[in-house]
Amino acid sequence: MAAPPVSRLNIAVRIGAAVLGGYAFTWGFIALSVALLFAARMEFHDAETLATIVGLLLFVAAFLWAFAARSVAIVWTVLAGGGALMAGAATLVQRALT
Amino acid sequence: MFQNLRLTMAWLHTWFGLVLGFVLMVVFFFGALSVFDREIDRWAIPETRFEPQPMPSFDKVLRPVFESMQPDPGQIELARSRVDGPMATHFPVAKTWGAYTTHRDPVLGVFAGFELPNAKDPDDIIWGTRTIDPRTGKTLPDDQLKIGSQFFYPLHYSLNINWRDLGTWIVGFAALVMLVALVSGVIVHRKLFRELFTFRPGKNTQRSVLDLHNLTGVVALPFHFVFAFSGLLIFGGTYFPIGHTQLKPLHDLHEVLESQETGLPHERAGVPGRLASVDAMMAEAQRRWQARGMAGEVGFLTVRHVGDANAYVSIYRAGTDRIALTGEGIHFNAATGEVIREDPPPTVAQHINTFLTGLHLQHFRHWTLRWLYLMGGLLGCVCIATGFLFFVEKRKRQHAAQGLRGARWVDGFAVSAVTGMLVAALAMLVANRLLPADLPGRGDWEQYAFWAAWALALAHGLWRTAPVAQARIAPAWAEQCLAVAVLAVAAVLLNWVTTGDHLGRTLAAGYWPVAGVDLFLLGAAAMAFLAARALRRRSGVPSASAAANAPSRSEAARA
Repeated sequence: MAAPPVSRLNIAVRIGAAVLGGYAFTWGFIALSVALLFAARMEFHDAETLATIVGLLLFVAAFLWAFAARSVAIVWTVLAGGGALMAGAATLVQRALT
Repeated sequence: MFQNLRLTMAWLHTWFGLVLGFVLMVVFFFGALSVFDREIDRWAIPETRFEPQPMPSFDKVLRPVFESMQPDPGQIELARSRVDGPMATHFPVAKTWGAYTTHRDPVLGVFAGFELPNAKDPDDIIWGTRTIDPRTGKTLPDDQLKIGSQFFYPLHYSLNINWRDLGTWIVGFAALVMLVALVSGVIVHRKLFRELFTFRPGKNTQRSVLDLHNLTGVVALPFHFVFAFSGLLIFGGTYFPIGHTQLKPLHDLHEVLESQETGLPHERAGVPGRLASVDAMMAEAQRRWQARGMAGEVGFLTVRHVGDANAYVSIYRAGTDRIALTGEGIHFNAATGEVIREDPPPTVAQHINTFLTGLHLQHFRHWTLRWLYLMGGLLGCVCIATGFLFFVEKRKRQHAAQGLRGARWVDGFAVSAVTGMLVAALAMLVANRLLPADLPGRGDWEQYAFWAAWALALAHGLWRTAPVAQARIAPAWAEQCLAVAVLAVAAVLLNWVTTGDHLGRTLAAGYWPVAGVDLFLLGAAAMAFLAARALRRRSGVPSASAAANAPSRSEAARA
């Protein structure tokens, strides 16, 4: 295996993206899905269950992608940025409902 | 990250698998044992070796027990930081009472949740628990640790690290990494179908260890995936507590709507109320289940808002005949005994959720399936252990040549995680039979024995893996296998000596909880003994290259 050396920093940044970025993205996804499904009159815990099932699978995919992707900057942007956006949207939906 | 996907996935699989593998080993092994947690409880507490009992009469047996309950002293200690001012000495308001049993429980676990006076969080609850003999209502001593259901089982999902749920989070991360390792492992290997039929024990250790790793990983791939995934789902609310944090306003709104729809009061009325015959409610619940074509026993019952005008009783069915973890709950007005509500048939989301959680938690009565679960869990252990061994075998010669110590350290931790864990579990069973029955805090001592034995095994593992640094087999493996064999036989013999329940008696009586544990221990002892012998024989003939050199050396000696 003549892999070009990958810097320790790059690895650390990718692990951070996989764990923290993946978590933030999953959180945002579950929060937004629950809020939207609840707004569509689904029972709260049903919404939570469905969102968690899909969210966990997304977490696994995001985790793998954080290492497979060429650019770690894109990974961080999508995972952390996407997570924050979805979480923000969830709060807006909640404000409209309560 | 690397120039192609397979290299990246191999890196991910290797390093995350290695680091979290030590956690996963514990999760898989004690998960496998938890399949028979109630049976291990019977082995460890001989006073409870009698037939499983149905839910007893509430009015005659349970009510006096509940009315005499108070929070556990340990819970009061833990709650000190959650109150403003002094801790109460008496807890008059019971928020909830509950009793839970399964088709494998001779004794009954009951719990009561009390209002915590002066609590910082007004919704705080402080718990009291008890184990009773349902035939008499007699309380069993507190410090008889249920080793199966109160130590091995929580070890499986929390590592028994309770500080801020830290253990549960570590296990959750390990489960996520398990899923990642399964996906990345499949991408690395590609020839998935061929792996099912490939095991070459005669080849060199590195090759046969990898064969076994792939075989056990692929054969039980769906099992591993579903269990890691459903485990995460069961604790989904812990890992993503969105309904209690970010979306709490939405969740509160849902609770108000829910109590309007179900008619089950969400809060106390603040007016005293009485409690009618709960036995009559249980009979009515069973009648209604039968009318729906699913006759069954009561598995779980709770009383909410105890002693208040808003009190209600919920009765759930024991799910012995289905995978899904559903209770078909029926709720009664506590004062009048009238039915307030029957839980509606599950929605699609509930179907999926109860199926996955039920599949993981197995409340059903199906002994073949139970044994298959155990096998699935142990296959997972083999998969993880061979992963460690492959890591070591692949690197040890190179590390020896370069004077690196990595392979040796990994081997040391692998010994401790694999055989060391068995030594710890067995030491606990041996301690359980050796410690005096009236020793104060006996259950604590059993836990100390577990952790002390594991610490010893770790020290021994790190010490006796030194030869790995010279690319040889570590004697630690054979020595700990021998320790496992000796401890397992000792546990069976001690059970005989201290209780008189030898295999001849338990088998003749058909008392499988104890006979099964004893037989399993003897089987483990036999396998550990054979493994120790095989390892000794191998380390006698050092490595392949040394063996190849041997004849020429003897010729040289003759010459």
